[in-house]
Amino acid sequence: MKSLDQIWVQNLSLLTGYSLLAGLIFWGARSERWRSAWRRLKGDTVGLISFAVILVYLLIGTLESIAVPSASGSRSLLQQLTRSIPQETSYAAPLASTALSLSDPKPLKSRHLLGTDALGRDTFVQTLRATRSALWIGGLTSLIYIPLGVLLGMMAGYYKGWVDDLVQYVYSTVAAVPEILMLVSILMVLGKGLGSMSIALGITGWVGMARLIRGETLRQVERPYIAAAKAMGQSNWKIITRHLLPNVMHLVLIKFVLGFSGLVLAEAVLSYLGVGAPVGTASWGTMIDASRSELSREPLVWWNLTAASSALFVMVLALNLFGDSLRRAFDPKQGA
Amino acid sequence: MTPRSISRCFALLAAAFACSFFTVLRAAIVLACGFAMGACSNNPHPEPLEKKSGDGTPWKVRYAALPEDPRSLDPQVSYDSVSRRVLEPLQECLLEYQPFKTDPYELTPCLLRALPERFERSGGGIGYKCELKAGILFHNDPCFPEGRGREVVAEDVLYAFQRIADPKVECPALSTLQDYVEGLAETFEAARKSDSFDYHKPISGLRVTGKYTFEIHLKAAYPQLLYWLAMHFTSPVAKEAVEFYDGKVHDGATREMFRFHPVGTGPFQIAEWKRNTRIRLKRNPDYRTTTFPLEGWNADQEALLRPLAGKALPFVDEVNMTVFRETIPIFLLFRQGYLDGMGVGKDAFSSLITPSRDLSGKYKERGVSLHRDIEPSTFFMALNMEDPVLGPNRKLRQALSCAFNAKSNLDIFFNSVPIVAEQLLPPGIAGYRKNFRNPYGYNLQKAKGLLAEAGYPNGKDAGGKVLEITLDTTGGSANERLMAEFDQQQFEQLGIKVKVVENPFARLMEKLDNGGFQIAAGSGWGADYPDPENFYFLYYSKNLPPAGKNHSRYQNPEFDKLFETMATMENGPAREGLALKMNDLLAEDVPHVLNMHRSTFSLTQPWAPRIQSNPLLEGGLKYAVVDYEMREQLRAQWNKKPAWPLAVLIAVFAFGAFLTLHARRTS
Repeated sequence: MKSLDQIWVQNLSLLTGYSLLAGLIFWGARSERWRSAWRRLKGDTVGLISFAVILVYLLIGTLESIAVPSASGSRSLLQQLTRSIPQETSYAAPLASTALSLSDPKPLKSRHLLGTDALGRDTFVQTLRATRSALWIGGLTSLIYIPLGVLLGMMAGYYKGWVDDLVQYVYSTVAAVPEILMLVSILMVLGKGLGSMSIALGITGWVGMARLIRGETLRQVERPYIAAAKAMGQSNWKIITRHLLPNVMHLVLIKFVLGFSGLVLAEAVLSYLGVGAPVGTASWGTMIDASRSELSREPLVWWNLTAASSALFVMVLALNLFGDSLRRAFDPKQGA
Repeated sequence: MTPRSISRCFALLAAAFACSFFTVLRAAIVLACGFAMGACSNNPHPEPLEKKSGDGTPWKVRYAALPEDPRSLDPQVSYDSVSRRVLEPLQECLLEYQPFKTDPYELTPCLLRALPERFERSGGGIGYKCELKAGILFHNDPCFPEGRGREVVAEDVLYAFQRIADPKVECPALSTLQDYVEGLAETFEAARKSDSFDYHKPISGLRVTGKYTFEIHLKAAYPQLLYWLAMHFTSPVAKEAVEFYDGKVHDGATREMFRFHPVGTGPFQIAEWKRNTRIRLKRNPDYRTTTFPLEGWNADQEALLRPLAGKALPFVDEVNMTVFRETIPIFLLFRQGYLDGMGVGKDAFSSLITPSRDLSGKYKERGVSLHRDIEPSTFFMALNMEDPVLGPNRKLRQALSCAFNAKSNLDIFFNSVPIVAEQLLPPGIAGYRKNFRNPYGYNLQKAKGLLAEAGYPNGKDAGGKVLEITLDTTGGSANERLMAEFDQQQFEQLGIKVKVVENPFARLMEKLDNGGFQIAAGSGWGADYPDPENFYFLYYSKNLPPAGKNHSRYQNPEFDKLFETMATMENGPAREGLALKMNDLLAEDVPHVLNMHRSTFSLTQPWAPRIQSNPLLEGGLKYAVVDYEMREQLRAQWNKKPAWPLAVLIAVFAFGAFLTLHARRTS
């Protein structure tokens, strides 16, 4: 029964993540700025295509994240869907009919679109499954660093004075520590795992967001509508949440999309360094890490590296293109 | 062409471009540089220490690779294989292994005149009479008066035993030897309490009876003592050297520490040690202790070795050991002829070894030879016998053992080089049974049946809950991660769930010591000495952690009784019979999932044929030979300089000159 509990917890947290995202979009959709941005975005082909690509990744990641009960505890929906693809004993080249072994080229159980890895697992399936790690890292970390960055940034920009000094002091200090060193040391303390990786990335990642929001808040505070709100006797908290937040939210969205690609890359780098995804979690970083020895093999095993880096590349490219499109849509004067 | 010379080329090309636009004179200088570059060779090694050896023949150098700097060359401390590889040619032991006899292994005298003579002491207990060879000198070293090495005497052996007992030295052999050698434990305790060691007080177990003679007194029979006399821990040390090399400043100059400056009696002594880069050893001109053995080799080596029999050692004048942290440069330098031998690692494996496990044609043509050696070692996964799930359930352990496909593991991760372990003892050790098959070797059907009998049909317990087992492993590299995933998959074939915990190495050791694990991957044991006692003690109940190495926490009174009898017996059929019985007990109780006996492939160049292959020697450098002329010839042949860089240089120069002249004419 315990395994069933785990399945519920996992699926519930997934649901929570999606409802948060949906909430953000619905909340934003009330604002005229967001609506006009959406109208502009509809005319942007590159933006729409990259958005579609991101949606495909999201779908794959979701399939891998949904847990379903199976014979031995729980497994993911994606695993369940691809269970007809058999596991070989070791490497097999893409679409080959025999195993990749010069001494003993046994016939394979089936052909594999992108070959298999050292343990005989289908590379294509592994690549799809690794999407989950990337999305979870991106999503969880964003949940940590965005609220932190927005809150601190707006406080610094609105209250100024010693609050500003303090926030600036903290983020300057955090920014002064080399990022990789900080990440690795935090991971050494917390242990491996997607969760601790998100915490580590969140702790180091909020600085950029706080800076950006602080700057924008400083600009907005000088605008007449804030003065008007103050004159009407609204409380500081109301001014921040009702007036300032909606006016910086588009920046949060852009930063979120652009930052997401950075987080996906960070996951790959950390897994490559051996402090990232734990054993049993498919991840592009670990696939690339494993290919270090595969590239010096004879015959060469290139498909794992190729599959993982292509998947990583396409995702990061789509995120960056979409991020740019968003920026253009929200701020037509600046883009072009 | 090495990367270094390529970058040199580019630098020169760039310089040539810059110059040629200005004056013809400068370009000419560049051209001269180019010629000079053409004369450089790609040899990465420094010039040999000398040109001619003592007898007028060319100075012979042997080139070897080290994976890292040795940690300590203190004979009483050094324990890791890299340090021992450097220490072996420097420091001799009382006994040594005959270099050719490996089945069974055989001890021969080295510093001793003959094998120790066993006798019953009048007051009870066992003693060994030993006599050192007369006239053996320590290396010439500044720590002795006038820098001349003095003669080795029995007092130096006593000093070595005192150092074993000194808590400040931290000798790894103490924990074993103190149980047998009289007075060691008491001396250690006394020194630990008073926090100082009195080197004037003798050890009761080591009696100096003459200038060269001494006796070792034991509390109980312990035939393995002879093996300890073939290890560096008991090899004689000069007190002068330890006191001289204290790492402190004397007369304005810092002296090295003793562990970086051993003073032994070996065939070589350190001539240069650039930390983390290179160690160069030079022949000890006063070396007389041993000569090349007269017999013992296989018939196929007769032609090579007969001419060497009885000759003075060593055969080479200098040994150059270069530290390489990566494996690729070792392979590249071997290919260019700048290393005399190499181990075949994973990177270079497929380009060197054919599918039929033979050397690839290209290297055969070059005269390179391939050697396959099985190390006296066994690797396994430890199962915790004190674990509430695994411990009382023998069928479950048997099922796990049956589910693990060791052969497949070796195919995927070790290029099928090692051999599957069917029993705890590796080949070459008395009690190893050639035709023995592990009754719980890989057999998935049987595993599933056993699991059902163990109370977990299809991996589920009576309540329908899936059995979950934790597998502890060391984490970090991609390879270790893949291995852990492999182990996990093997056991999960049974329908159970395996949780993998990745630990830093020290944390895994801690878990092994305090018993906080269920299955620990990557355990293993390499023989200290070729005796079944050295493997079966891993499962002796009085050897529990943290003091001992019984990480599985196996406790079986029957096994203990057999062990106690077997351990102190002299080798023979009776002893082998006991060892076989112990093997059967372990095979049925399954306190481990057996994996492999490690083996290695290595290559030697045609000019440096392999003389000995005893895995208990750390290289046996004193027997190494080098055909100096053949090496020079083949190196030149393998490293022909390409002509194109010079041609390109001349073309660039000509083009530059043309441009300059053209510019002058038009202006």
